[in-house]
Amino acid sequence: MSDGPKLDAVDVPVKPAGYGLSTISRATYFKEAALRNLFLVCACVAVAGVALIFLFVGWRGWPIFAKVGLFSFLGGGVWHPTVGQFGILTLIVNSLLATLGALALGAPLAVGTAVFLSEVADARVRAWVRPAVELLAGIPSVVYGFFGLVLLRPIIAKFSGGLGFGLFTVWIILAVMILPTIAAISEDALRSVPEGIREASYAMGATKWQTIWRVLLPAAKIGIIDAIILGMGRAIGETMAVVMVAGNAPVIPNGIFAPFLTLTTVIVMDMPYAAGDHRTALFGVAIVLFVISMIFVASIRIISRFGREVG
Amino acid sequence: MNRRLQVRVVALVVLIPVLLMSGCSSSPGQTKTVLTVTGSTTILPIAEVAAEMFHEQHTDLRVLVAGVGSSAGIESVTNGTCDIGTSSRELTPQEKTLGLVDTPVAFDAIAVIVNPANPVKALTKQQAADIFEGKTTNWKDVGGPDEPIGLVNRDEASGTRDAFSKIVLGGAPFDPKAAVLPGTGQVRAVVADSVTSVGYISLGFVDKSVKAVSIDDVQPTEKTVADGTYPVSRVLHFFTKGKPSGLTKQYTDFVLSSAIQNKVVRDAGFLPVAEGRK
Repeated sequence: MSDGPKLDAVDVPVKPAGYGLSTISRATYFKEAALRNLFLVCACVAVAGVALIFLFVGWRGWPIFAKVGLFSFLGGGVWHPTVGQFGILTLIVNSLLATLGALALGAPLAVGTAVFLSEVADARVRAWVRPAVELLAGIPSVVYGFFGLVLLRPIIAKFSGGLGFGLFTVWIILAVMILPTIAAISEDALRSVPEGIREASYAMGATKWQTIWRVLLPAAKIGIIDAIILGMGRAIGETMAVVMVAGNAPVIPNGIFAPFLTLTTVIVMDMPYAAGDHRTALFGVAIVLFVISMIFVASIRIISRFGREVG
Repeated sequence: MNRRLQVRVVALVVLIPVLLMSGCSSSPGQTKTVLTVTGSTTILPIAEVAAEMFHEQHTDLRVLVAGVGSSAGIESVTNGTCDIGTSSRELTPQEKTLGLVDTPVAFDAIAVIVNPANPVKALTKQQAADIFEGKTTNWKDVGGPDEPIGLVNRDEASGTRDAFSKIVLGGAPFDPKAAVLPGTGQVRAVVADSVTSVGYISLGFVDKSVKAVSIDDVQPTEKTVADGTYPVSRVLHFFTKGKPSGLTKQYTDFVLSSAIQNKVVRDAGFLPVAEGRK
């Protein structure tokens, strides 16, 4: 923290009612104030981190927009940096293909898991299934990648007749990776549906399935959409697992078993040797990723607000 | 093995911060006891084993070896973050102006490898070029079964890719649809378990899991590389800033000694410089 936060803004201590100055000692007062400021500093570190990264990436990546032009950078189809072609449209499309496919596979699986955990499973089963799902979130992504490369890829190579790199392999790996994120948040959303709504549904003669499908899922819709967007953010930003099974060819794959390069993997592949404009272009790619994740975060906020207003 | 792992870990721990903070060089003045050697992953097995043997003979001296790719090696010897930059490719015209001194330490041949189940045994250099440029996309065009060719390429930091591109493709671009893998081991592993795949790796890393095809009717062997008949081969370099001196010279001479050349270099599948061409 170079230029400290403006502490005077929060100087006025917020004291619970009936807790006047007379009842707490000076030492307690200072301790409380110190703690409050400590937590403020913690929060500021996070904000400063985001700001610094954004400034740095922007500062290093901006020249590429000036050099090749925003439209030919974002809209150019050919990524061949060593001969000076810096079009990342292919990479954007590939990232979206990878993400949407992973969502198509992973989201139903995850929402199904959430429904099972919240509505179907009894406490004993839940005690086993939930930690297992949570453990999925704790596995480092490089382990997913290694698993995909060593175990999954040869199997897919065998039945597809190709190399086993490609969208299909990436979809499977990413679907499993985003499952815990989507499942946990969707489960929270389902649980926060008031018990009375379930009881009302059963009282109307609805079966369990009808209650889940017609009542609970619509009621938890906003939370589930948030969960899916968060999962999308995880999928589009995932790098280590993808770089190991994507095959990294800078073209739009002609099929789901053909190698492809994405926005994140290009950074990992090229950063060790990129120099000059090539390096700047990689920072430009980072800016694009930054903007994409800002869009995700913003859309979650907008949807949540919308949800609160409607529901 | 243990020692080897240790050297590698130490090298990584020391080199990563050094590489990250480009620009800060090891301080001259006092006598150096630690030498850093960075660069080609192809040269890694030679440089690493030589470093261990060197340390056994001179226990007060250490040589730290890291494999980060030829281009990164040349880059770091140029800006002073390492003492020797190892490279499996020649210098570019621009790099030639940097005042680096070249010491060839071994010869290497690049083998075009296919899956052992692939009936194709021989390719001409032209056929190999057509395959990797994406002009030939089916094995039946080069005497194999009617199967699409699964191209496996290396990343652009790879010295092997650079050499293969120059020697076989004549600088023509690779097929962009090829899978790009960041290491020799990965290329070999993928070719070993995908029947229709083809890739290229240093002859030193060819093992029984893959099959090296002959190029222009010359099978890649030590003999054909040494006498220069095998067309896809190259020189492995140590680059230093100025003529090697002090610890750098000590280590370079050690690598060129017959103990290393005839044992370590050969074990790694390369050829000693003394017996090679040029």
